[in-house]
Amino acid sequence: MIETWLLWLFAATALVGAALMLVLRHPMRVALALTATMLSLAGVYALLGVHAIAIFQVLIYVGAVMVFMVYAIMLLDVRDRSYVRRFSRLLLPGFVAAVAFLGILVHALWRSLPADVAAGGGTTRFALQHFSAAFLGEYWLHFELVSVLLVAAVVAAVAVLETGRRNRD
Amino acid sequence: MLLATSLALFALGLLGVIVRRNVLVMLMCMELMLNGVNLSLVTFAQRTGSAAGAVLVFLVFVVAAAEIAIAIPIVLLLVRRRKLLDLDAYADLKG
Amino acid sequence: MSHPLAPIVLLPLLGFLLNGLLGNRLGKRFVSAVGCGLPILAFLASVRAFMLLGAGGGAPLLDPAYTWALIGGSSFDVSFYLDTLSAVMILIVTGVGSLIHVYSIGYMKDDASYARYFAYLNLFLFFMLLLVLGRSLLVLFAGWEGVGLASYLLIGFWFEDPEKARAGKKAFITNRIGDAGFLLGMFLLFQALGTLDADRVNAAFMAATPPAVPASLVGILLFIGASGKSAQIPLHVWLPDAMAGPTPVSALIHAATMVTAGVYMVSRLSGIYTHAPEASALIATIGVATAFFAATVAVVQTDIKKVLAYSTISQLGFMFVAAGVGAYGVAVFHLYTHAFFKACLFLGAGSVIHALGGEQDIRRMGGLARRIPVTFATFAIATAAIAGIPPLAGFFSKDEILWYALASTAGGSPLLFAVAAATALLTAFYMFRLLWLAFLGRSRMSAEVEHHVHESPLSMTGVLVVLAALSAAGGFVALPNFLGPLLPLPGVAASLEPLETPLLVLSIAIAVAGLGAAAFVYAGEGVRAERLRQLLAPLHRLLASRYFVDEAYDAVVTRPLLWISDRVFLRLGDRTILDGTLHGLAALGRRAASGLSGVQSGSLHRYALLLLIGIIASVAWMLRHG
Repeated sequence: MIETWLLWLFAATALVGAALMLVLRHPMRVALALTATMLSLAGVYALLGVHAIAIFQVLIYVGAVMVFMVYAIMLLDVRDRSYVRRFSRLLLPGFVAAVAFLGILVHALWRSLPADVAAGGGTTRFALQHFSAAFLGEYWLHFELVSVLLVAAVVAAVAVLETGRRNRD
Repeated sequence: MLLATSLALFALGLLGVIVRRNVLVMLMCMELMLNGVNLSLVTFAQRTGSAAGAVLVFLVFVVAAAEIAIAIPIVLLLVRRRKLLDLDAYADLKG
Repeated sequence: MSHPLAPIVLLPLLGFLLNGLLGNRLGKRFVSAVGCGLPILAFLASVRAFMLLGAGGGAPLLDPAYTWALIGGSSFDVSFYLDTLSAVMILIVTGVGSLIHVYSIGYMKDDASYARYFAYLNLFLFFMLLLVLGRSLLVLFAGWEGVGLASYLLIGFWFEDPEKARAGKKAFITNRIGDAGFLLGMFLLFQALGTLDADRVNAAFMAATPPAVPASLVGILLFIGASGKSAQIPLHVWLPDAMAGPTPVSALIHAATMVTAGVYMVSRLSGIYTHAPEASALIATIGVATAFFAATVAVVQTDIKKVLAYSTISQLGFMFVAAGVGAYGVAVFHLYTHAFFKACLFLGAGSVIHALGGEQDIRRMGGLARRIPVTFATFAIATAAIAGIPPLAGFFSKDEILWYALASTAGGSPLLFAVAAATALLTAFYMFRLLWLAFLGRSRMSAEVEHHVHESPLSMTGVLVVLAALSAAGGFVALPNFLGPLLPLPGVAASLEPLETPLLVLSIAIAVAGLGAAAFVYAGEGVRAERLRQLLAPLHRLLASRYFVDEAYDAVVTRPLLWISDRVFLRLGDRTILDGTLHGLAALGRRAASGLSGVQSGSLHRYALLLLIGIIASVAWMLRHG
């Protein structure tokens, strides 16, 4: 019972954070709203029983991605043209398109509703052992690809650093 | 309901990309989209109990991290040149 | 011999090819030998064919050459057909033609394009013989067009002079206008009868049940073609201008042979015309009108060749008068005598021009009789022949024409006779005027021209003598009787029969009166001529401007045509519509491209929006077709 309530709460928080992201002016505040959304989602994952993923959410998203984002915001001078006029020229068309998008997706969802509607009644429990076994066993290729991706990211970051240094010198 | 939430998150993220001018805010909206997708993946994974869903979620995490690691330095370099965070200043690939 | 007729046609063609391709390289001797030798050989072949015809008792010779086309169920053949009519024609064409070729050796001696001249002349002979010997009207028409082409090439022989080139064009285009009528007539004939063979066409019209197409309609259409080729009103305007070509060309093409093709065609299709009274009446009327009109214009012309040109038009009118009253044999008889004396006259004029170093204006001639006696003698004989003085050839043929114009039951009338007789009077008058002004009286030449006057070489004078002899004696051949079985003479009104002999006397009187009048007017210094001219000044102006026909054509036809071509077709059609459409399409493409390139704005916002719209569309599609 409480679980359902909490689920609804966290979901609502996530949505509110997302909405706030769109209207806040200062990028720092936007970052904070996003962080709130991400934490709410972590809560949702935890309530759903996939604790490992919840932890990863906090670790990776909030801990690495958002921190990096905040660093970038702090480094740059954000009070420029985009601060004064925060919305692009496509505000109205975008809004209309987004409403249409939502409408069509909800319609699709409504038509093909899975068996249990409401807040997910988790029937099977998520087991970390099964997950790890599957990851390294059946989906080993994806595992390796992940490592390759990370290496690529590191190389790219170093390259950017080098370019930056060369430009400065 | 959770699926509806994920749809909403995704839509809001896409709307943000279209609507906001600030480059960093756009990047953050893209993260929001990824989160929406993650939520729907987790919902399905938990419902069906398949490990594939969880693996995909993991992959999305990694991709998000790698992406942000590259995107922000690029933005930094761009801004260093033009001194502007407004996306309209970078419309050089005009046809 | 299995192909008696084909060599007649092919020998001149061979001459054309040899002279045309090799003539320039192989020198004048070769060109002369080939250019004259081959027509002479064709003449000999014609004589042989003629004798074969006689030996076969008059049955027509048929020489099938090859099948031209097989279209649907009809076969179009090229075959040659010789009966008495075409036998006469080929003898005239090859005989007079060969003589004129020999004359040209002397006349064109100093011309740079000697080989080209003889090549074209042989080409003309080829087409003319094709015209005459063709069995089918289609082959005749091919020859018809071919002689038109040769005429164009030869009139505009000295094409560097734009005036002469223009004369060639005028001839060709006027011919083509007539040919439109000819083609329509042929189409009607083919549609009704399914064949274009002349003998079969005649038979079909002579049969008990006439064919579906009205004979008069076909007759009139075909006559339109004939009037183009034979320079009748209103398509006569090209013949005087055609005098721009070399004089032997004028003699051959525009006196003896090509212009007579119309008369030949009408006679060949006599089967149609005997059953087409309206068409025959039209032919007779136009013939006599043309004859009279041309004779009046000839009276005031001052260029020696132009006088002869209008005289030709007038004499052709006479031939058509005869054809129009059903006396086809008489028309061909006049064609035959006219070939002799008109060729002699033209070649004599050429001799005069040659002697005077290029002078053609008779106001600057005079007194040549003593200086160039042979030319004078032959010219005088031919003049007497055309005037109709017995016993020269022209008298016989002209008298027959006048007789049938009056008395024929197929259209003869006193009015026709009266106009024809008046024309005969004028003919005698202007021909003697020409003779007098050119050869007799006091010399009006400039001193240096007079100094250089000399008789022409033997190649030219020899031909003149031969033609003069033929003009004198040719009339004794009773051609209408010879052609009688093929072209029966029409009946004569019984009430008028006793007038035959008085008419004979009358025509002699007319000829002498004409000569006398000319002598009277132009004798001495020509004072009386001058006074006459001042008295009738407006009439003189009208005649001298040839009734302003050319000017009328220019205003009514040429200028509106040019206006339409410029305004409607060039500016509106070509520039505005065609170019405009093309430019418009190009501009449309350009504008569309520039419009579409707006998609690539460089703005990420726009790209994201388009992405979103694309996703919506694909989701909607999947929902609909899922």
